[in-house]
Amino acid sequence: MQRSFVRRCGLVVAALALPVLLIGTGASAAPNTGKLASATLNGDGSTFQLGFNQVVIGSFKPVQKAVTVNYQGNGSGAGRTDFVNGVVDFAGTDAPYKSTDPQPPKPFFYFPTVVAPITVSYNLSDVKLKLSADTIAKIFSGAITSWNDAAIKTDNPRAKLPSTSITVVHRSDSSGTTANFTSFLTKAAPSSWTLGSGSTVSWPSGTQGATGNSGVAKLVKDTDGAIGYVDFSDAKASDLTFAAVKNSGGKFIPPNLGSAAGAAQGATVNPDLTYDPINATGAAAYPITSPTWILVYQDQSDANKGAAIVSFLNYIYDQGQQLATSIDYSPLPKSLLKQARAQVKKITVAAS
Amino acid sequence: MAAIAPPRENESPAPAPKGLGTGSRPPGVFTDHLFRWIALASGLLVLAILGLIAYTTTKNAWPWFRAEGFGIFADNWDPPKGQYGAGAMIYGTFLVGIIALVISVPISLGIGLFVTEVAPRRLRKPIVYTVDLLAAIPSVVYGLWALAVLTGPLADIYDSISSATSGIPLIGDITAEPSPTGLSYMTAGLIVAIMITPIITSLTREVFATTPQPLKEAAYGMGATRWEMIRGSVFPHSRGGVVSAVMIGLGRAIGETIAVALLIGSSQHISAHIFGPGDTLASIIANQFNEATGIQRAALIGMGVVLLVLTVGVGILARSFVNRYDRKSGAVA
Amino acid sequence: MSTATVPPPSGGPSLTAAPHSRRRKLSNAVASVLISATFLIALVPLVFLVIYVVQQGSKVMSWSFVTDDLPFVDRLPGGGMGPAVVGTLLITGGAALMAIPLGVLGGIYLNEYGGTRPLARLIRFLAEVMTGVPSIVMGLFIYTLVVLNTKERTGFAGALALACLMLPIVIRTTDQMLSLVPAELREGSYALGSRRVRTIRTVVLPNAAAGIVSGALIAVARAAGETAPLLFTIGVVTETNTDLFKGQNTALSVQIFNNATSPFTPAQDRAWGAALTLIVIVFVFTILARLVTAFFARRQTA
Repeated sequence: MQRSFVRRCGLVVAALALPVLLIGTGASAAPNTGKLASATLNGDGSTFQLGFNQVVIGSFKPVQKAVTVNYQGNGSGAGRTDFVNGVVDFAGTDAPYKSTDPQPPKPFFYFPTVVAPITVSYNLSDVKLKLSADTIAKIFSGAITSWNDAAIKTDNPRAKLPSTSITVVHRSDSSGTTANFTSFLTKAAPSSWTLGSGSTVSWPSGTQGATGNSGVAKLVKDTDGAIGYVDFSDAKASDLTFAAVKNSGGKFIPPNLGSAAGAAQGATVNPDLTYDPINATGAAAYPITSPTWILVYQDQSDANKGAAIVSFLNYIYDQGQQLATSIDYSPLPKSLLKQARAQVKKITVAAS
Repeated sequence: MAAIAPPRENESPAPAPKGLGTGSRPPGVFTDHLFRWIALASGLLVLAILGLIAYTTTKNAWPWFRAEGFGIFADNWDPPKGQYGAGAMIYGTFLVGIIALVISVPISLGIGLFVTEVAPRRLRKPIVYTVDLLAAIPSVVYGLWALAVLTGPLADIYDSISSATSGIPLIGDITAEPSPTGLSYMTAGLIVAIMITPIITSLTREVFATTPQPLKEAAYGMGATRWEMIRGSVFPHSRGGVVSAVMIGLGRAIGETIAVALLIGSSQHISAHIFGPGDTLASIIANQFNEATGIQRAALIGMGVVLLVLTVGVGILARSFVNRYDRKSGAVA
Repeated sequence: MSTATVPPPSGGPSLTAAPHSRRRKLSNAVASVLISATFLIALVPLVFLVIYVVQQGSKVMSWSFVTDDLPFVDRLPGGGMGPAVVGTLLITGGAALMAIPLGVLGGIYLNEYGGTRPLARLIRFLAEVMTGVPSIVMGLFIYTLVVLNTKERTGFAGALALACLMLPIVIRTTDQMLSLVPAELREGSYALGSRRVRTIRTVVLPNAAAGIVSGALIAVARAAGETAPLLFTIGVVTETNTDLFKGQNTALSVQIFNNATSPFTPAQDRAWGAALTLIVIVFVFTILARLVTAFFARRQTA
């Protein structure tokens, strides 16, 4: 009788102390030293951040052995929907919720994690292409059909362009990459690009669709004179050649981690940490840069899961940022990182 | 059709075999009734599941039906511009299904006949197991293999056929504008044909195998060659079963998702060019569902409903075909 | 010798010509060649495909590949398909356990009890319709019905989706195979005093067993290879999860799709290794099932 009472008191004390301890560790600069209780975090969403998430999850596991994080790359739309329906603990998305989308039922946060460029990859031997937004728009909408067109010549006055016909390759599956690419064209070349912007657009007949970044990459690689849009990480893995794109400042910028970070730097950040680096200002900004966020609810009712999420996010903002470049993602600019770290502290974790 | 009523056990002259009992209540009545209700419940489960599917999908697709009305059949799929017509996908589903059947049915029937009539007895099991291996291969593997190995050579073949037939009036139009990557209606139809062949073969083989021996011997007795015997005895006996098998194969063909999504080129426009890209209902759902919200999402679910209706239509057609021929044996007329 | 004066059944060949004329012999020979050729035509893609899968899959194949946990980062080499193998077996097994008994019972109802009654005709028709439901619609259906309500992805939801895919195939083929059992056999059994259940159990089912097992195997093979329904319902894991009802899971078909569409060679190699594993599992299962059926059939009819 007495022993169980003492045990129960001990449990209550521990229960009260644990969240204090966890919130305390969340606020400190070294958040991952405390060993967390067993928890499984399920997340899904953006395939763009899948590569980064896998590396972070893999490095996080030995640090917090009792926490299992699973992330499924099934699309930003699916992520946002599953987050609203409570099917997942966190979600990845390349775009914020539209006003017409079903909104999450409780307060939540956008946590930016990384940025990376979307390349305009092509298959032409011995040509280093520079392309303006207008030219890209005309190529992808079918207005320009061969490589020696006048518009391409204007962008590349000194290049030797063959008369090969252009094969346009796009995504058959809907994707945030398509959304960001078409968003760029709509912003930067509104007079030449009339197909609108979204995760799918009605590509003109005669263009080729392929599944996934790798599908597009493979088609571009195998077809002479092909051109397509591919995420930087996948384009590098497939050994593709990419074009330098003219940014809003008028300079032709090649896609790389530095120019992507430049775009993130040049964008205006909203209070909820959403921002739009597409066609951002900045001399060194690459105009087709993709942002991405992790969605998390502000109030975590499950103590173990909540603690795990906080720890995971802090890991992303410490070691995660250093791991990013190793897999061809650019870490966040310092100011944004500071705001993100501060936002993590706003998550409230219930007592266990 | 109905069973002959079993005799009352007290009148049986021989000692009743074990299990028939000697009690006053006829034995097995309870089991009979119980079993009947269990079997009925299982049958009703199909009703329930399909009803639920029809209900939930129609409910979720309602915004699309309401927004588009008959426009759902229009050939104008353009979500950013607010247009959600599924005409191109309905057309593509039919086209791929027809191509698949045209290629697959003769081959399946041939293999079925080969196994039951032509091949030596000893080879039957190995052949059956080999064809089953075709069914064991997942559809995603078919799609990926075709993508890696077939699309290149196929693109060249389409190109040659296209140039060879370019002058001919009707055929030239159909074979024009081949896709340089090989992704097309034809490629998708070809792979689907390979995928449904083991199903149709397996079922028709079983049907052919149950052709009554006396029927076959009667044909030989009248001096028929083997082919004439097949046409005269096997085919008439098997008509219902073959149509049923083909319907199951067609069902799989129009419902095939991943392999078609990988191979059809995803172009949402109606096109007569079978060597060029297109799209089907199932594959566009797979490709676009994850990112879809709002009416686009409702439209994609609605296309699932359209597929259900399509299958119903095909089923009605097939049923009217089958009902013309008696089922020669078994409990069902 | 000239043939009978009775005209042949409608649609049958004309037998009034001289016996085995050259034309008839020729058409017979052509037919035999064509029929044999179809088998070879079907073999061609099979052989190429199997060779390709074995070639690609053997690059990573090893015992540790089949048992190790999935790697965290799929663009790096290493890791195995252990969790996916367990997932496929559990989920497909669960689906088969639900669909096959129900499907066979439903088929029995349709053929033995329902006959041509309106309810049976409706069920038969709807089962046919259900075979045409694309796998992705089944996945969406179970996602809406089960995942959204339980607010989690589990192996069981995936098994449900697969069972819904399998059920109509099993019902239709069972119905079909039972209808091929001659009425005389049933009548003989009734004449000996058996009731219907006993007749079904001892006479009808053993006769139709081979065909029913064929149908069931086709359904299982399809279910094991399905990707789309599982994408919405089971989630993903890197460690083996043997609990069908709690926690996310993964399967070989999903892993094949995800890894093969990656541009990184280690992932693609892993995809083909998984493909080889899946094909071997399904094929072995098919052969085993046929052997078992043949064994029991021999015992029954002996």
